[in-house]
Amino acid sequence: MINQMQKKILILALHAGELMMKSGAESYRVEDTITRICKACKIPYVEVFATPTGIFLSLDEGSPDSDMHTFIKRIKGSSIDLDKISRINHFSREFTSTDLSIDAGLSILKEISNSKPYPLLLRILGAALVSSFFALIFQGTFRDFFCAFFAGACSYALSVLLDKIETNLFIRGFCCCAVATLIALGLFSIGLGSNLNSVIIGSIMIFLPGVALTNAVRDTLAGDMVSGSSKGIEAVIIAVSIASGVGVAIKLWTLLGGAF
Amino acid sequence: MIWAFLFAFCSTVGFSILFHVPKKHIASAGFVGALGWLTYTYFIISGSGSVLACFAGSCVVAIISDVFSRAFKDAATIFVIPGILPLVPGAGMYYTMLAILEGNLEKMASTGTETILMAGAIAVALLVVASVTKLLTVMGRKLLTYF
Repeated sequence: MINQMQKKILILALHAGELMMKSGAESYRVEDTITRICKACKIPYVEVFATPTGIFLSLDEGSPDSDMHTFIKRIKGSSIDLDKISRINHFSREFTSTDLSIDAGLSILKEISNSKPYPLLLRILGAALVSSFFALIFQGTFRDFFCAFFAGACSYALSVLLDKIETNLFIRGFCCCAVATLIALGLFSIGLGSNLNSVIIGSIMIFLPGVALTNAVRDTLAGDMVSGSSKGIEAVIIAVSIASGVGVAIKLWTLLGGAF
Repeated sequence: MIWAFLFAFCSTVGFSILFHVPKKHIASAGFVGALGWLTYTYFIISGSGSVLACFAGSCVVAIISDVFSRAFKDAATIFVIPGILPLVPGAGMYYTMLAILEGNLEKMASTGTETILMAGAIAVALLVVASVTKLLTVMGRKLLTYF
């Protein structure tokens, strides 16, 4: 039978893995962290299989009459949070190198999982920074800078709202990019902004699947074909949603008689 | 060039805020992104194709991120993810969509292929740098055991 101690170790390891996976870590890093935590608690046989949608963990005490235990943790929803990844990385290093108790470890993990991202206003400002400076990079003028600033801020606020009501990946990308494009077209038609393309490119930059793309490569390289291909498909879906959002918005605008 | 560096720095800082990069690393993440973009623009100005430029820029991002991750003892992901984003071909995607709307299939095929190749170049660059650094660290460790 599994004892109380081992159960706590399991909860600790799975919780750490789940947090990392949700924050956008690569599969091999998650597997590595879970294995290290279990090995630090002197469990001799640990086998982990982590994918973006679930973690499988098997372990055995090692004595001849002990049973093997397998646990599955389903992972739903994710939001990129690099601070959490960094902190759990530090935590796992600390947990394995010092004799931190399991209860203390659990409370640290709880604290990490409750940590909030930057305040909403700052994030909206960040999104506005991204889109406005991208408009400048793509030959925009200072008037475009302000248009892209506004369009980026609005579309990011919409994406936060859509996240709250738990829409899927495709709808979110589609709606946000359509709105960003419509705002850009609207501002352009009332005379603000001089280079429409740079404004639109700037404001769709926020939603590009850069994270999915990089993680897909890193996972594939590490030999996690399942994670790699699923992240790759995620990147493709996001890209298609952005392109179709922009396309539908422009088409709608011209059909309604707007100038393009 | 200086403007490009500054603009890319600011937008990478914006991405860092969105992805909740720890406060102490935001400036270095911005630096990584700006340097990657600078490499990209340098290659474009000197007449290389955008795919090669994207490859070179991503290589720089991956290498500097690796150096920073060792220097600051933190995961490389923290620098790679915001740093690589300016290079992801959003503009190519947009122009491909425009070509589709115009019904210009030839233009769509050419810009679309270029976009896909640029994304592929980023992926390959990350892959190459990661493999080479892994090889170097393994070789370094092997060498150390001899002494």
